[in-house]
Formats: sequence, C-alpha cells, structure tokens
Amino acid sequence: MTIRAAIDWALGLFRRFLQVRAVFTTVVLSGIALLVVGGFLSYSIGNGLYQTRVSQILAESERGVVEVQNTFAASTVTDEIALQSLLNSVVPSLESQGSSDSRKVALLRTPGQVGSQILQSPISADLDTAVIPIDLKSQVRNATGKLTYQSIGLPQANGSIHPAVVVGSPIEIPLAGKYELYLVFDLNGEQQTLDFVQSVLFWGMLILLFMIGAVSYFVTNWLVKPVQVAAEVSEEIAEGALDRRLTERGEDVIAILARSFNRMADSLQKQITKLASVSKMQQRFVSDVSHELRTPLTTIKLAGDVIFASREKLEPAAKRSAELMHDQIERFEVLLNDLLEISRYDAGAVAADLEIQDMNGIVGSAIAGLEPLAQSRGSVIEIKIPSGPVDVEVDGRRIERLIRNLLANAIEHGESRPISVAVGISDSAVAVSVTDAGVGMSRAEVDRVFDRFWRADPARKRTTGGTGLGLAISLEDTQLHGGWLQVWAKPNEGASFRLTLPRRQGMIFTQSPLPLPPKQPKRKEVAGE
Amino acid sequence: MAHKILVVDDDNALREMVGIVLESEGFEVCFHDAGSGALDAFKAQEPDLVLLDVMLPGKDGIEVCSEIRATAGTPIIMLTAKTESEDVVRGLEAGADDYVVKPFDPTVLLARIRARLRPLSKADGETVQIGPLSLDIVGHEVRRGTEKLLLTPLEFNLLLTLAVKPKQVFTREMLLETVWGYHYKADTRLVNVHVQRLRSKIEEDPDNPKIVTTVRGIGYKAGQG
Repeated sequence: MTIRAAIDWALGLFRRFLQVRAVFTTVVLSGIALLVVGGFLSYSIGNGLYQTRVSQILAESERGVVEVQNTFAASTVTDEIALQSLLNSVVPSLESQGSSDSRKVALLRTPGQVGSQILQSPISADLDTAVIPIDLKSQVRNATGKLTYQSIGLPQANGSIHPAVVVGSPIEIPLAGKYELYLVFDLNGEQQTLDFVQSVLFWGMLILLFMIGAVSYFVTNWLVKPVQVAAEVSEEIAEGALDRRLTERGEDVIAILARSFNRMADSLQKQITKLASVSKMQQRFVSDVSHELRTPLTTIKLAGDVIFASREKLEPAAKRSAELMHDQIERFEVLLNDLLEISRYDAGAVAADLEIQDMNGIVGSAIAGLEPLAQSRGSVIEIKIPSGPVDVEVDGRRIERLIRNLLANAIEHGESRPISVAVGISDSAVAVSVTDAGVGMSRAEVDRVFDRFWRADPARKRTTGGTGLGLAISLEDTQLHGGWLQVWAKPNEGASFRLTLPRRQGMIFTQSPLPLPPKQPKRKEVAGE
Repeated sequence: MAHKILVVDDDNALREMVGIVLESEGFEVCFHDAGSGALDAFKAQEPDLVLLDVMLPGKDGIEVCSEIRATAGTPIIMLTAKTESEDVVRGLEAGADDYVVKPFDPTVLLARIRARLRPLSKADGETVQIGPLSLDIVGHEVRRGTEKLLLTPLEFNLLLTLAVKPKQVFTREMLLETVWGYHYKADTRLVNVHVQRLRSKIEEDPDNPKIVTTVRGIGYKAGQG
C-alpha cells in the first residue's frame, strides 16, 4: 500500500514537473551511455591485460621448456636414482612462489607408452593435477615441440578460484620416455589489477552520472525557472493581481518570453481596467438616475395623489386617467426602488443588517402581506412550519422581502391552485420553500429565471405587476447571506423555490433541511382543469 | 392656531407641491430654496416644524440641521433621496427628529408631521422624578438640581416616556410607536441615535449611562437594576 503510494507520488511528481522529467531522462540516457562506454573500457583493459600476460607466459614457458630439454639432453645420468633426482630438480627450478603470480609445475609421464613407469612424476607441492584439462593433455600429446595453453580456474585453499593459464609441452626424457611438462600460471595479479580498474571505472562513472544529474538539474532549473515564474505570475494575474509582471533581463528567448508576457499583461490590464471603469460608470449612472428621478417622482406622486383624492369631482375620462396615473406612479416607484437596490448590489455597497430572528415570524409576516392578493386570485396558502421558533441570523427586512417576492411569483403563476410554504431546520441551516402547482417552467426557462428583466412568457398577461428584477434581487439577497436559492419546475406541474440559509453567519452547511423538488407534488384537484 | 411649517428644498416643483399638500391640510407654510440662508429664514419665520431636504445647494441639509439645533429644539424632519445608512444616521446625529424617504406618500408625510406636532404624552401629576433629574411636564423642562437642561421636545418626550414607567423595559419598537408615532415597523436607528443624543445631555458620563440604561437584546429603561 505504502509502496503503491510512493510510486503514485513519484509518478505524480514526474507528470507534474517538467524539471523532474528532464533530469530523470538525462540521467537515464547518460547512464546507458556510461554503461556502454564502461563495458567497452572494462573489456578492452581486461583483454589487453590477459593478452600481454599470456604472451609473457608463453615466452617464459618457451624458455623453461628449452632449458629443461637442454638439461636432459646434456645429462649423462644412466641410473634411475640419478635420473629421478634430475627429474625432481626440474620442478623447483621452474617453480616460483607468490600469492598472486605463483607458477606451479607438473612433469607427467605420457600414458600409453611401452614399459611401465619407473620414475615418480614430480609435481609442485600444492598443485592438484586435476585442474589440468583433459583436452589440453590430448592436445599436448599430439603437438610436437609446440606449446599449448588453456585458461582455467584455479581453486584456492580459501575456496576462491583464481584465473590461471596452463601451458603444456611434450618433453622427451632419455631413458624415461615421453613426458609432458605443465606450467600453471596464476593470473590473480592481473585479475586484481582488472578488478581495481573496474572498480575505479565504476565509481568514476557513478560520480560522473551523479554530476550529470546535478548539472542537468541546474541547467533545467535555469531554463525552467523563468517558465515557472511566468506560470506563477500568470496564476496571480488570473486571481486578480493585474499589476504583476515578469522581470525582463537579457536578450535571449526567456527575455523575449518575459517581454511579450508583460506586453500581454499590460494590454489585458488596460482592457480590464477600461471595462471595469465602464461598468463602474454604468453602475454609478443607474444609481444617479435612480436618485435623480426621486425628487420629480415625489412631486408627481404628491400631485397624482391630490388629483386622485379629488377624482370624484372629475369627468369620467379624467377620473379614470387619475386612477391609472395613481397606479402607474406606484409601479414606477417599485421599479425605481428595485433598480436602485440592484445598482447597490452591483456597486458592492450592500451590507446585511444581521440579527437573530424567528424565521417562522418572518414567513408569517410575509404571508400576511400577500394574503389579500392570494385571496383575490383564489389561491390558498398552506403553511408547514416547525412548532418551535426557528432562530436564524438574517437581515429580516431582506429575507421577508425575498419570501414575499417568491410568494408573489407563486400567486402570479399558480393558476389559483394551493400554494405551499414550508420551513425546515437543521443544526446548521434553515430552509424556506415556496411551491405552487401552476404553469411551471421548462428547463430553458428555469435556467434564465434569475436573469434581470426576464419574463417566463412575454405574451402572458401580467396582473401582479412585478418589476422583472425581483428574483435577481432575491438571488443577491441570498448570496449576501451566504445561502442558496434553488428552483425546481416542470411545465404544467408547478414550480418550487427553496431558500437555504446558514443558521449563523459563517456556518457551513452541505444539505438543505427541505427537499427539492418537494416530496409530494400536489395536484389534488386535477379533474376539471 | 395653524402650525407653521418651513419647507427647505431646492426643487421648485416639489416645494410648491408640498406646500399645496400641507396647506390643503390646514398648515401654514413658508419656503426657502437653499442651504445658505436657511437659518435666517428659520429665525425670521419661527416655524413649528422644519421639512429639510438633505441635498441642498450651498450648504447641505445636515449642516443646516446642526445650525438650527444649536438655536432651537424645533422638530426637524429630513427629506432624503437616499436610504443609505450613512446619510440617514448623519442626519439623525445632526439633530433631525425623523426622516422621510423620497418618493413619499402625502399620507406618510402628514402622519410624520402630525406625530411631531402632537402634544406630549400625558402623565399624572406635574413633575416626574428620575434619578437626579426632575421633569416639569407642563413647562417642558428638565432640571438637575437647579441646573436647567436643554432638551428638544422629542428628547423630552423620550425621557418622559421612560421615566413615567421606571421599572418597564421598552423595546425599540415600543418607543418608535409611543414617541415617534410609527404603527408599523420602522428604522430602529431613530431610537438608537436619539438615545445617544439624550444621554449626552443628561448623563454625567454618557459612556456609562445611569439614567437611561440599555437592556441588552431588548431595549432601554429608565434607571438601573
């Protein structure tokens, strides 16, 4: 599990960091190259050492063999004892001792000759004749006056095996017949030299590989760093720090990158600032207009009221006009207030006036305010609230306005069917849902329902006189509280708006206490409609 | 006798229209059209109530409000186009008794004016004692020992309301109804600001009030404990 995690971590690192990838690739490729070069060097040195030693061995053996041959040729011994002692003297004269370059000697009688062996074959004390390969022996017997050699492994007392070369040569001994002289050269010295060279090569290459890794790290760092910085800076710019720039140094490609990056950031900043100032101007304009309209509207309103109050004295046409004007002034005022409210939100100049309140009370007074409208439209408002008080930290004025707005929409689109209002509570959240069983909305309409001045059906007759900003403001109010305002709707089945707010500001909630869509879609009185 | 109302507003149409509405309700109306000179007009006309626009050329309504308050306790109602907290609070702190947001209904304006011109609430007896203060109900005077404290009619009314029932805790909504005459939810900042102004006049240490105390989470009451 942990190994898996470690592998995942390493793979993640590999995928994420260009530098890690570059260093890794460099090290692996250099490693392969070093392995090839090292192998070649090691082989060449080993081979060279061996060949040199072998030719030296052959030369020595040649001399030895000639010497021995001469010794026998020149001897005048006639009896067995003298011959035996002469034979015995051959071995020590050719032997040499040493831990790494010892030379051992065996003088063996060639088997298969007429007559039996009378003389003992002299052999170096610590030489086991079994190390002499049989095929070498047969080669020696067939060779005439020529040296034959073969490399073998020479077992040591301590169990290790030294590389060695056995050189064999036939020798004719007067009176005694055919003999074979074997010289066993221990090549441990060469082996040690080779081992040493190989270990030097190994460590040298390891160090080299490490240094290549380090160098490639620094080089890629040097190359990647500016890219990394550019990435960080663009991240910061993306997060809104529009005045962040790269440092431009030198004339190389990195400097070109930095320069063009900065130019891009400059023009972006210019565009954004321009857009921001345009949008700010627009917001100011909306706010100013709303304010400036207030004084003349006050006059119009006062005048309209005076005329409206005395409408009974007017002619029928003037009377009706007075009534229409009176209503429309009111509508105009509501629109102006909504416009001002949304412009305040746009300007970010809204602060919630938070207080701990009872949500049941807020819902109650919102319903009370719209009861007359609901009655005139024939809608019954059904209420499902928890029995105890539902304490929640909200800006009561805004939330009541929001619920009133949801209710007004439900009455407007509810087709005179019952409207249900529910309040739900959990440890961290409070929810209010307003559900109607009216015309509902299509998917596309639901997506646009919070847009400003958007109307579900422009051709539909409007009776309750909403401004078209109601839900946009409601959504802003909800966001001001850190809550959710969600909608569910189905054509001809109705719509349900669910407001979910944290119980206290800053509380985190993941679930609303009320379901959406509401559990039982109620169309009790389907028949006859 | 008809009450006299001074309307200070730079918008000619609105000024005239307010005049029509007020005169039709039997008030005597006089006008001024700028911030500068408003105080002189006030002194010359000696109105019973001032309707004061916040945004005025020359001198803004808040300054005019402070000037008038420095000389008299006459009720002042601000006419404001903004409901932003800052403007409203600044106006109230400058001494305005109440405010009306444009565009307003004539009925609302008249209700606010009448509430301010209403005779003070009646109490039994002629004087009420609260802490070291004695309130002369008939003479509208407050004395600490022999020292006479200058309160506006609104402040006097607020103090009297609390003093008459010294054991009762008044919520802000109750005070809005009895003192300001609001019958529906209104801006509780009216109460907060005026309690502060009242304390600054009657308390020895306004930061540590002893006469008008706050009952946390509920409202205010007269006296301690």
